[in-house]
This record gives sequence, C-alpha cells and structure tokens, in this order.
Amino acid sequence: MAADKMCFLDKNRHILIAVDESENAKRALLYVAEFLGGVPGFCVSILSVILEPPVDYFKTDEERTEWINRKKTEAAVMLDNYRRILVQSGFGENNIEPLVEVISCPSIADCILNKRQRLNCDTLVIGRRGISKKEEFLFGSTSSKIVHSARNCAVWVIE
Amino acid sequence: MREMPLSGHDLRDIIARWVEPSSVPASPRIVTDISDFFKVDYDDVVILDGRPYFMRNYEREGRFGIDEEPKFWVRRAIDLTDGSIKIIKMVFHEQFRAKVGNITFDCVRSPRKEAIILDMVKGHPNFMQGFSVCDPTGNIIRIIDFIKGKTLADHVLGLGENHEDYFHNFFPSVLGEYIDLVKAIRFLHERGEKHGDIRRDHIIKEKDTGLCRWIDFDFNFMHAGNMFGYDLFGLGNVLVYLTGRGDVTLQRLRKEESPVLDHLTADDMNIIFNNRLVNLNKVYPYIPDDLNVVLLHFSLGANAFYDDTDQLLTDLNEVREKISN
Repeated sequence: MAADKMCFLDKNRHILIAVDESENAKRALLYVAEFLGGVPGFCVSILSVILEPPVDYFKTDEERTEWINRKKTEAAVMLDNYRRILVQSGFGENNIEPLVEVISCPSIADCILNKRQRLNCDTLVIGRRGISKKEEFLFGSTSSKIVHSARNCAVWVIE
Repeated sequence: MREMPLSGHDLRDIIARWVEPSSVPASPRIVTDISDFFKVDYDDVVILDGRPYFMRNYEREGRFGIDEEPKFWVRRAIDLTDGSIKIIKMVFHEQFRAKVGNITFDCVRSPRKEAIILDMVKGHPNFMQGFSVCDPTGNIIRIIDFIKGKTLADHVLGLGENHEDYFHNFFPSVLGEYIDLVKAIRFLHERGEKHGDIRRDHIIKEKDTGLCRWIDFDFNFMHAGNMFGYDLFGLGNVLVYLTGRGDVTLQRLRKEESPVLDHLTADDMNIIFNNRLVNLNKVYPYIPDDLNVVLLHFSLGANAFYDDTDQLLTDLNEVREKISN
C-alpha cells in the first residue's frame, strides 16, 4: 500500500524524512527515531532522491543506466538500514515506507517538496549539510531552499 | 574516413566561387566521417547531411585563466552552397574537473545538450543560431552561423572617455542589453535547460544588428542544490564587469594607489574570486544604491543570493527605471 494511503486511512501523522548518504541525513533519521519511536499515530516515508544525470553526461547510455542502477541499489541498501533503525526504535513495520526516486528536477529541494506535496505529509525532516557560503551561492543549499519554499507543512532541520 | 566519388575539378570550381584563387587547394579531400577531428585538415571539404563545408582554421578560446587555448574540434568553415561562414563543432567527449575559486566540480562537454538548445532557441535574437546533424557514425555535429562582432566585454571597454562618462552616457543602454541577456537565460531555465558556462566572452555583440548573443552552451555538470546557481553566478560576474567597465581588481587598485584600498573589507569582494571588487560604489560613488545592492548579492558579504533569474530581473528593472529617469 502506498504510504500516503496507509497514513490517510489510519489517520496517522505522516512524516517525510529526506535522506542521502551523509552523516547529517543519518542524524535526521536518528532524531526522528529517538523522538517519536514507540509513539503511536505516526508513519514515516524515507525518501532518497537520485537526480537523473544530464543527457550525455556519460559516454554511453549503458554507462548511464549502470550508474543509475548502482545508485538505486546503494539507496535501497541505505533505506533498508534506516527502516531497521526505525523499527528498532518502535515504529511499526507497516508504518514505514522507503522510497527511492530517480527524477529530473531543477534541484533536490524541488524534488523533495514535490514529493511531500504528493504524499501530503504533515512534517518534512532533513539534515543540514553545513556547506560553505560559496558552495551555497554556486549550487544552492537544499535545506535553505526547503525552509524558504515549503508550504503547508512543518520543516525540521536537524544539525 | 571515406572518400566521396566526386571530381576534384568540380570541387575546385565550387570552392573558387567563395575564396581567392590562391586559396583553392590543388586536390581537395572530401571527408564524411569526422569522428576523429584531428584528422580533419585545413582545406578539407566535409560533407554533412549532403552539404559541403570547406574547412578553415580552428577556433580559440580562453578558459580557466588560460588565454587563447586552441579548440581543435571547433573549426571555421565556408558553406559551399551559399558561401556563408559557419562554425563547425565536432564531437569532443571531454570530462574534467572545473575549478571555480576553490570549489571543484565534474563537468562534461555535451554535444547533445548544445544541439537541444540550438533547436530550442531557433529564431531567438539573443542566442547564436545553428542546427545539428549526425555524421555517418552518429556524432552530433553542430553547424553554427558565424557571428561577426566583438565580445560584449570588449565592446564596453571602448565606451566613454572615462568610467563616469561611460556610466552616465552608455551604461543605461548596456544595462538594457544585459537585461535582454538575462531574459534569454530565463528562457532556457523555464524550459529546464541551463547555459552552463556563462562568461563575459560568451556574449558576442553582432556587428550588423547590434544584438547581443549567447554562445557556447555545450558545458554540462551534475547539479544538486540549484540547477541554475552556476548560471546566476556567471550573470552576476557579467553584471559587475559591465557596471565597472572592466574588472576592478585589488591589483589594479594597488597599481593606481587608490585611497579606496583603506576602506575595503573582504565583504566587498566577489564571493568566489576574492580579488575582484563587487562593491563598486566604493570606487565609483555615483553608482546608485539600487544597482549597488544588486551587485552586492554576488559579494562575500551577501546574506541573500538570487535563486532564479526572475528575482534578478525584478531588481534590474527597478534599477533601469531609476537610472533612465
């Protein structure tokens, strides 16, 4: 069952945790596990976004497909680990849904916000990478963009 | 490379229509597969989609501080069907780590991206024009109309007797041209594409029409935070350059023994290129605050950055209104 339906039907609060392979993302997930683990009435979607590489970023389509598949596998392993952490902390197996999205978006923040809207989550949880000001200027900060652009939901930024 | 069964004599006649007799080669070679661009020589005739192009010299470009680096895969050519000058961009699968300030990121040269954008901007006055064809081995070759003119950067250097004269008498019109260029980049962004390599020498001011055109959009990179951030950074650098009628660097100020040096802080400098002054109002006090505030979005002291071209355009239009009145 899709996470949004599951939560809707159960009238649970629906939390979306956006993660990547960073320690900050792991901290965000651990925060939710410690804070809400064992508390009834919550379900969690754990989202890993893989941005589609630009056209001919790789020399061949095979290389591109291989790269995407490898990223998907890595993300699936990571999400499974995170799922287990949440279960151990007291979330019900049926109240956790790992989601891997391979998508083309102007930014990861846009992908996450779109997904939150589609799933109709009440709360969005992200880690903060702590990138430099220069990096934020050149390539943007996912957490800053989410904080500025999120509507109709609470945003938790975990450091 | 495959030889075409065409008479050398006929070909020499065709070439002679467009070049001086002394430039007609004795036995021009016909080439159809240009996978290896190093094997395409000066005086070769390359057939692309049935059209013959008489190959001339390769182009050059400054990059990452290296001036006049030859681009062997980019050749000037004469379209032998109408005599027009073209730029032929062959396929060069280049992957490299670009370094901007002390930040590095992986880049590729993407013929497909440039081909897609060429289609997208067909007829747009602020982009180079051209089309792409595939050679027999599937290489995406871009055939681009040669733009006769200077870079916008070189053009502004020749305007005005001094900066104040430039700023009051020429800059309002330069700003109008710049706003059109930003709108052109918005046009790309709205369609999910980025220029990828916005630099002042990638804007040519066409001699005949006076139009400013973006060139060279084959750079690509994997973005994460904001797909358009790097383009906005480039737009900021161009704006600062146009406002200052050139780069105002610490080296230049030191050389001129400028008293402004005593009043500069790190926050006044470009966020990435820390030797370039962005807070130009400190050197040119007649630059209005509204414009200076736009410039400061690209400084080390900035607390807010532009997320998209719309935000930049909103501020620029306000500036234009004020400096025009």
